[in-house]
Amino acid sequence: MPTTQPGKKTILVPKIVNGVPSGEEEIVVDDTDAPAWGPKDKHRLLNTYLPRADGPHKATGTAKYTHDIKVPNMAYACFVTSPHAHARIKSVDTSAAEKVAGVLAVVPLPNVEEVRFEGQPVAAVAAKTLEAAEEAAHAVAIEWEQLPFVVTAQDAMKAGAPAAVNGGGGGRFGGRAGGNRGGNPEQVLDALKSCDVTVDATYTSVIMHHCCLETHSVVCDYSGGDSATVYCSTQGCNSITTDAARELGLPASKIAGIVYNMGGGFGSKFGIGIVGQWACRLSKQLKQPVKLVLTRREEFLAAGNGPGAIQTFQAGATKDGTLVAVHCIQQALPGIGRSNIAAQPYQYRAQHTYREQNTVNTNEDSSVAMRAPGHPQACFAMESLMDELADKLQMDPVEFRKKNVPDPAWIRQLDAGAKAIGWQNRNKTPGKSANGSSLVRGMGCGIGAWGGGGRGGCVATVNIGQDGSVTVQNASQDLGTGTRTYVRAIVAEELGLDYNDVLEEIGDSRFTNGVASGGSTTAASLSPAVKDAAYNARTEMAKRVAPHLGADPSAVLFADRQIAGNGKALSWKQACAFLPSGGLSVRGEWKPGLSGNGAHGASFAEVEVDMETGHVRVVKMAHVQDGGLILNRMGAESQINGGMIQSLGMALYEGRVMDANLGVMVNPAFNDYKLPGCLEIPELIPIIDDGDERNVVIGLAEPANIPGSGAIANAVANAIGVRIRELPITPDKILNALAQQKNV
Amino acid sequence: MNAFEFANAPTVEAAVKLLTPSDPKTDPDQLPRALAGGQDLLTTIKAYITPAPRVVNLKTIQGLDKIADDGKGGLKIGALATITAIEENETIRKNFPGLAQAAHSIATPQIRNMGTIGGNLCQRPRCWYFRLETVKCLKKGGTECYASIGQNKYNAIIAGGPSYIVHPSDLAPMLIALNATLTITGAEGSRTIPVQDFFALPKVSVRRENILKPGEIVTEIQVPATALAAKSTYLKFKERESLDFAMSAVAAALEMAADGTVKDARLVLAGVAPIPWRVPDAEKALIGKKPDAATLLNVAQIALQDADPLEHNAYKVPLTQTLIRRAISSLTA
Repeated sequence: MPTTQPGKKTILVPKIVNGVPSGEEEIVVDDTDAPAWGPKDKHRLLNTYLPRADGPHKATGTAKYTHDIKVPNMAYACFVTSPHAHARIKSVDTSAAEKVAGVLAVVPLPNVEEVRFEGQPVAAVAAKTLEAAEEAAHAVAIEWEQLPFVVTAQDAMKAGAPAAVNGGGGGRFGGRAGGNRGGNPEQVLDALKSCDVTVDATYTSVIMHHCCLETHSVVCDYSGGDSATVYCSTQGCNSITTDAARELGLPASKIAGIVYNMGGGFGSKFGIGIVGQWACRLSKQLKQPVKLVLTRREEFLAAGNGPGAIQTFQAGATKDGTLVAVHCIQQALPGIGRSNIAAQPYQYRAQHTYREQNTVNTNEDSSVAMRAPGHPQACFAMESLMDELADKLQMDPVEFRKKNVPDPAWIRQLDAGAKAIGWQNRNKTPGKSANGSSLVRGMGCGIGAWGGGGRGGCVATVNIGQDGSVTVQNASQDLGTGTRTYVRAIVAEELGLDYNDVLEEIGDSRFTNGVASGGSTTAASLSPAVKDAAYNARTEMAKRVAPHLGADPSAVLFADRQIAGNGKALSWKQACAFLPSGGLSVRGEWKPGLSGNGAHGASFAEVEVDMETGHVRVVKMAHVQDGGLILNRMGAESQINGGMIQSLGMALYEGRVMDANLGVMVNPAFNDYKLPGCLEIPELIPIIDDGDERNVVIGLAEPANIPGSGAIANAVANAIGVRIRELPITPDKILNALAQQKNV
Repeated sequence: MNAFEFANAPTVEAAVKLLTPSDPKTDPDQLPRALAGGQDLLTTIKAYITPAPRVVNLKTIQGLDKIADDGKGGLKIGALATITAIEENETIRKNFPGLAQAAHSIATPQIRNMGTIGGNLCQRPRCWYFRLETVKCLKKGGTECYASIGQNKYNAIIAGGPSYIVHPSDLAPMLIALNATLTITGAEGSRTIPVQDFFALPKVSVRRENILKPGEIVTEIQVPATALAAKSTYLKFKERESLDFAMSAVAAALEMAADGTVKDARLVLAGVAPIPWRVPDAEKALIGKKPDAATLLNVAQIALQDADPLEHNAYKVPLTQTLIRRAISSLTA
């Protein structure tokens, strides 16, 4: 039994590694009276609709991103990348590159003798201008020995396929076999025999991309000497310092890491990465600031991706709608990386389950965490299966789900979503329109779950000036999820101030310790620390001001920009004038009891499909999401909307396309990797599940992205009467499936 | 992008001079390039798809952006007229509705504000392989059309080979349906040809999609006022409505007889062949008929009779047939 210091206690919190929940860990926290959120319906700012603190800056273009950073004497860097999926470098000749006017450095990457995917960086170049750097990069002459490669899962699973990774190989599982297993396969296959209906089906989803509008980018402002400032588009501001310190040979304390704003991460940006590594190395070598920004093509090829999945089911249910047996073999498709797809039967309860997961490696960049890692893929497959079973049972898909969910939260959410989408109007005759037109409508749904719990480590600081100014500081970055807004609101509410009376300063490693934004843990990790700091600031202010009111500090009230007690009131400014000239600076840290874990959601979609063109128009989407105490309802609804849009992209448009003969990605550009645009966005109905009585903060950014793709796939099947089992559901697939059905 | 020389052309003559290579045998990808809107040109340069030793800016030529009446109700459109100007021109909207629709179907408002009719007709293909810096395909002087054996979902189903690109222009098929002509100006003067004759199949010219000789530019497009023009439409199917090239599209123009039969017809397909693809047999099948359902099915069938899809684009056959039927129906309803 470990001993804990007096005044401290040990608690279990979810452990997150690079955005992926990885069990739990013990942490030590204060064991003292903690502030409480108070009743959910009594908030003045929290749980209301707050406009984004950074909205005006972003809308007017004054918000500074790493892409915008320009410092004096800054050099521009870029990478030389592999044109081959698998090759050995025989020689590198940098002489022509070094002769390009303005070139400062041409550095072959050490220890890269063999490349395993197209776009893999093999050399770095720095020059006085970006144009010169690019020209020099093109002038680096590399002699390659091309090696056998495999870039599609179908090819990788063939016997004798080339190994994409060391130790991999062709055959049934292509890459690394022997992934995790669970359950007894014989028992499941036995149980299938007693089922009234069964479905055998394979569902495929392809490798997707994060599509951050700001590509990976770093500016290392170092000119020799003993300190540096490193600007980085990253989800982990605090990790900039340790990462950069290693590269620059400086103490981490001498490095300021800055993420003022960032244009998206979605799981692809932790640490400074290879981009930061080379910005720092070149800066150190040149004793001059260096900026390195990936091109869009490089971002697609070499900045991570979300894995695809091939999931094969044998599943059965009984007439009463009980999910009896689910046998599933999952193949994760993470390029040369490793990745997990969430286990089947995903969130459902089944009497007998077996699942086995393997990895099919291909010569493509590694998958990394991507918004709800492994969940949208598992959910799309399982939700498709659920509808196929419900069809065979001739049971309403919502009713079928309600019989098989383990938590009543989903029953509540399925009812709410069904009402919002108008489920009673769901198509009873799939594939047939009422008036002979080619347009048919359909509806579908799905459910998802996520952790979203908080963890210790965050320390927030509240500074109150003698002039009444209030700032709240923390190193955490705003991933774009609205961190700035709730940080400000928590302090303003606690101190009885207006929302705009408080200024938040975040995204700077010099502030007190923050949290990396992964696993939807930022809000649940940071908000308790901010709440604690604000509570401590209020307590401290009460102590200082009470004597001037002749009141007991515990009886002092903070409201309406005033501090009141003993029948008297001071304006906030008058009260602050009693502070010393340096003002007041108070800290707070994460405490248990203010955040929780476990988010549930349900998505619904209505689509209209043109059976003669294969065009799918999503008419309406609704997503119901719980999240305990909602810090900002507008921010939460925006997250839910964003999740629905991203799942719509996965369902209908997005995917990496590889040429199997050449080993190259054929669509590494936004013209060809199709994200949904304005005209593709349907009526979006974000629904915060206020039936959730938990009064703790739970992250909800990722869960909102999980069930939408399955809901849309189900809606398309309900519309056209044919099941498309492979994402994205594009017009060609619909027309082919309808043609095939006609021929049968 | 590679470093290149940039020249503002004050006149058409100056532009022609700046665009004419000293060596007539210069590789097509080493020729000076003309900038009219620049949005396709600059992306091909920036992405190292085709280098440009010299870029000649045509936008500095005065008066080449006019949309004028030809005195007989027809149009004289300067090559630098923007897509937006065409889309919003009242006369075009009223008397050449298909042309306004084709203009509106292009890309996004921002791109239409910059893009020009001349640039639209001369833009390079969108084939995935052509657009990859690391792939030297037939169109870039290589020896293979990788699309023909690779990812060819968006490629040609008609008249492909040796290259299987589809021509990306939306204005071109409509202009052909309207019997438009265009004027080409070069060192030896000007000539005016039907728009239909401007485009060249890969078997004729694999490196370029049209018949422009080095140093030549398109200076004007003429659209005659006809009964066909008044009854014209452009129906484009995009995979992504917000911003996309045609998966397939149909430019249709009809002249109707008093008895409700079709007197004259033009049907030109986009997104299915390496050039805008007129289907005269289908037009003939329509002429003299009432455009009823059976006729439309027959016409659509005939229009695609020469289709020979690749591995991933057979869906274009039924899709295009649908668009043909719908385009004609929308004109006769």
